[in-house]
Amino acid sequence: MSFAHHFYARTRSSSQWRVAGMWYCFRLLPGAIVAGLLVLLLSASPARAVAPDHMPLQTGGLLLETAAGESHPAVMQSSNFDVSISGMVAVVTLTQHFANESSDWVEGVYSFPLPDEAAVRSMELIAGERRIVGRVRERQLAQQQYRQAREEGKRASLVEQQRPNLFTNRISNIAPGESVSVRLEYVQPVLYRQGEFSLRLPTTLTPRYMPGRVLEEGAGNSKREILSINDGSGWAQSTDQVPDAALISPFLHASQGSDTSPLNAMTLQVSLDMGLPLADFTSLYHEVAIARQQFTYQINLVDGRAEMDRDVLLSWRVASGSEPQAAWLSETRNGKHYGLLMIVPPETAPVPVPRELVFVIDTSGSMAGDSIRQAKSSLRRALRRLSSDDQLNVIAFDSRARRLYPQAMPASQQRIAQALSYVDRLEASGGTEMLAALQMALSDQSELHSDRLRQVVFVTDGAVGNEQTLFEAINQSLGQSRLFTVGIGSAPNSWFMRASAELGRGTHTHIGSAGEVAERMDALFDAMAAPVATDIDIQWPAEVDSAPARIPDLYHGDPVQVVARLPQPLAPGSAITLRGVTGGQAWERAVTVSASRDSHEGVASLWARRKIRELLDGRAQGADQASVKSSVLALALEHQLLSPYTSFVAVDETPVREPGSTLTSRPVPNTAPRGQAPQTYAWPSTATSAPLSIYLASVFLLSAILVWRLARDEVTPAADVCASRSRMAQTHV
Amino acid sequence: MFSAVTRCAACVCLCLGLYHLQYALLIEAKAAMAPFLIERAWQQTLVSGVTSRPWPWADTWPVAQLEIPAVDVRLPILASTSGEALAFAPGLHAGSVLWGEPGSAVIGGHRDTHFDFMADLVVNDRLQIQDSLGRQLRYRIAELHVIDSAHTPLVTEGNEHQVLLVTCYPLDALHAGGSLRYVAVAEMEPLQPTFLASRRSFKL
Repeated sequence: MSFAHHFYARTRSSSQWRVAGMWYCFRLLPGAIVAGLLVLLLSASPARAVAPDHMPLQTGGLLLETAAGESHPAVMQSSNFDVSISGMVAVVTLTQHFANESSDWVEGVYSFPLPDEAAVRSMELIAGERRIVGRVRERQLAQQQYRQAREEGKRASLVEQQRPNLFTNRISNIAPGESVSVRLEYVQPVLYRQGEFSLRLPTTLTPRYMPGRVLEEGAGNSKREILSINDGSGWAQSTDQVPDAALISPFLHASQGSDTSPLNAMTLQVSLDMGLPLADFTSLYHEVAIARQQFTYQINLVDGRAEMDRDVLLSWRVASGSEPQAAWLSETRNGKHYGLLMIVPPETAPVPVPRELVFVIDTSGSMAGDSIRQAKSSLRRALRRLSSDDQLNVIAFDSRARRLYPQAMPASQQRIAQALSYVDRLEASGGTEMLAALQMALSDQSELHSDRLRQVVFVTDGAVGNEQTLFEAINQSLGQSRLFTVGIGSAPNSWFMRASAELGRGTHTHIGSAGEVAERMDALFDAMAAPVATDIDIQWPAEVDSAPARIPDLYHGDPVQVVARLPQPLAPGSAITLRGVTGGQAWERAVTVSASRDSHEGVASLWARRKIRELLDGRAQGADQASVKSSVLALALEHQLLSPYTSFVAVDETPVREPGSTLTSRPVPNTAPRGQAPQTYAWPSTATSAPLSIYLASVFLLSAILVWRLARDEVTPAADVCASRSRMAQTHV
Repeated sequence: MFSAVTRCAACVCLCLGLYHLQYALLIEAKAAMAPFLIERAWQQTLVSGVTSRPWPWADTWPVAQLEIPAVDVRLPILASTSGEALAFAPGLHAGSVLWGEPGSAVIGGHRDTHFDFMADLVVNDRLQIQDSLGRQLRYRIAELHVIDSAHTPLVTEGNEHQVLLVTCYPLDALHAGGSLRYVAVAEMEPLQPTFLASRRSFKL
C-alpha cells in the first residue's frame, strides 16, 4: 500500500509534467502556429498588392522614346533619283534635299550609300536660285577648304567617300527653316546575268559591327581630326580594327518609317532605253508605273514617293531570242578612247565534280528578324540539294565561330538531317566577328580530297566595318577554295560581299526578301555545280589598259565584262578574241567591232572607277600604299571622280551667317532598313509562384489545425470514458 | 463516422499545406543558395576566360556580375532569362546587345527573390557590371518605369548604351504571370579610360 501510495505520489508529480506538456502541445503550440500562419497569410495577402503612390503607371512606347534618347532631329533629308539607263550603263542624278527644321544655324552630316561600282563624277550645291558647281580636290585640301568656308559663315558642301559604298555629305550653314540641296551624278554599270538585266539603288545602311578594341579618345583619330565633327556624328567609337568607326556609323531614326509617311522620302524617275522592246520589267521592292514611248520606257513610283528603308531593285529582260551575246560600247573623252566589252560564253552541259561544301552562316545581332529567317531558309534549301558524293560542314558565327563537324563529312541523309536541325536551332544575337569564321572556313582544307572542288557559301548581311582586314584574310588563306557570298536583308553591305566573292573567285548572290530565297538559291546552286568557263584570256587588236586584269571563272549565265582604255578607237571590222576552257575543251569567241560611231556616255568614268578599285584591291595583295595612293589620286583628279583620296567640295562665296550666331553640327538620321529594326522581343517572366505557394500553404495549414481541433472536440466524450475507467481502477486498488 | 471524415480533411489540408510550404521553401532555398555556386563558376570564368558551369549538369552559366552598392546587392548574371535560369540567379535576355555596345542589355530577375531590391532603387543609383573579360562598366539609373509588356515591345537596338533591369510588377503581388513590368533604365556613364584599357590578362 505504501509502495502503491508512493508510486501514486510519483505519478502525480509526473502527471503535473504531463499536464504542462499537454498544455504546451495542445494550447501554446497551436496558438503559436496559428499566429505565425496568420502573419504569413497577412504578409502575402493580395490586399497589399497595390501600386505605391509615387509610382505613376505608365504604358506605351516609353522605351522606344528613351532608346532614341533624342527628340525630333534638326535636319530632315529627302532624295530624288533620276536614272537614265542606256544599254549597259546607267547615269543616276541623285538630289539630296536637306531641310533645317530647327531655329539654329546648323551643319548637317548625312551618311548615305551608293552602289559599290558607282563612279561619282559631278556634284552641285543648290540653295534657292544659287547653284555652285563642286570640284574634286585631294581629300585633305577639300576638308581645309570646307572648314574655312564653314568658319566664315558660307554655305558649303563636302562629299567624301568613307567606303566604296558609303559616303558622307556635310552641308554647312543651313539657315533656320531653310532648305539646301546637293546634286550628285554617278555612273553605274547595269548587271547582266542569266539573260536578265538589273540595277540596284541602295537607299539606307545596315549598321555595321565594329570589331576590335575601342581606341581612347583622340588616339587614332588624329589624322581625321581636321574635320572633327566626330562630336557625336556616329554612334560607334573608333577601334583598333576600324579606326574610322565614327565616320561609318550613321545615326538611324528611332522609329520605322512607312511609304505613306516617310521619314526619309524618295522619289524616282527612270528612263530605260535598251534599243529593243522589253519582254518584262520588275521592280522587286517598290510599286512602279511604266509608260512606253517606242523603245524608251518611263518608270515612276505609283505613290509618287517611298520610304528610304530598302534598296530599289529593277530588273528587266529583252524579248527572248534577242538577248545580247556580245557587246562593245565605246566613248571618246578628252582625246582618249574607252570601251566596255561584254561577252556571254557558250553554254555547255556542266560536268559534275565531287565537291566539299562549307556553309557559313552569320547569326549576329544585325541578322535578327527577317534576315536570319531568310538565311536559314536559304541554307535549308542548299542542304537539301546536296548529293551523297558531296561533303559538307556548317559554321555559324556571331561573337565567336563554331562548326558542326570538326571537318567536312560525307553528306549522307543522316548528316543532312543533322545539319538541318543544327540550322533550325540557330538564333541571331551578339557581334559579327567574321574574321574567325572566315579563317575557320578557309583554313581546314583537308589535303586528302584535293581532287574535290571546295566551295564555301557565306551567308551574311556583311554588316562589318573592318572590310580590309577580311579581304587580306581571304587573299591569304583562299588556297584552292572558292568563296560564294549570299547577301541577306533589305540593305546589306553589297560592296563588301561582291569584293569578297571576287577575291574568293566565286560569285555574289543577293536575297532581299523571303520570296526570293528559292529562286536565287537554286540559281546559285545550278551555277556552283560547275564553272562554265575557266582560264579566260582576251586578245585585243591593239595595246590596251584593261580591267579587271584577271578574269574570274565564269558560272552559268555570267558574261565576261571588261572595261579598257585604248590608244585610238578600234577600227571597224577589227576583232576582239576571247579564249578559255569550257567543259574541259578549249573555246574561242570573237567580237567584231561595228562601224557605229555612237559614243556611250559614262564608259570612261566606269573604266576609271574600275581601275581605281583594282589599284586599291592591290593593297590586299601587299602593294605599296604610297604608290597606290598617287596612282589613284592621278586617275581620280583626271576623271573628276570621288575616291578614298579625293572629295567633292562646293563653296558659295557669299557669307550667309552673321559672325555672331553659332553653328551647331547635327547628324541627319537615316531610316532603319525594313524588316531589320526595331527587332522586338518578349519581356522575361520575372515572378515565381513562391508567394502564392506560401499563401496557399498558410491557408491549408490553418485549415488543417482548425479541422484537427474540431475532430479533437468531437472525440472528447470518449476521452471522458477513459478517465472514469481509470478512476474505477483506482478505487479497486 | 463524422470524426473519420474530419480527420481525413485535416490530413488532406495538412498534406496540401506542407506540399505548398516545401514548394515555396524550395524556390527560396534555390534562389538563396545558387548564387554561391554561381559565384565560384564566375570566378573561374574570369580566371580561365572560358565559360564554366556552376554545377556539371547546369544548362546555363554566368556571363556577368551586377553590383548595386546603394542597395547592397551583388549578384551573378546568368546567360538566359528562361524560368529554369531565373530560379537560380538573374539572367541576361537573349536579345541583349553585348556589353559596351550601343543599345540595351536586358537583365531580368524574379521580383520575390533576387530582384526584391527593385523597390528600393531610386534614380541616380549607380550600378556596376563586370563582364567576362573582367571589364568594369559603370551605369547610372536614369529612369524607373512601369510598362505593360502587352503593349510595349522590348527593343534592344538603339544609340544609347543602356542596361535595363526588369522585374514583374506589382512588386509584391501574389500571382505570377501578369503583364506589367517594373523597369529600371540605367545609362552608361561616359567611357572611362580604365574601362577601355582594362581587358585584363590572367595568369594561372
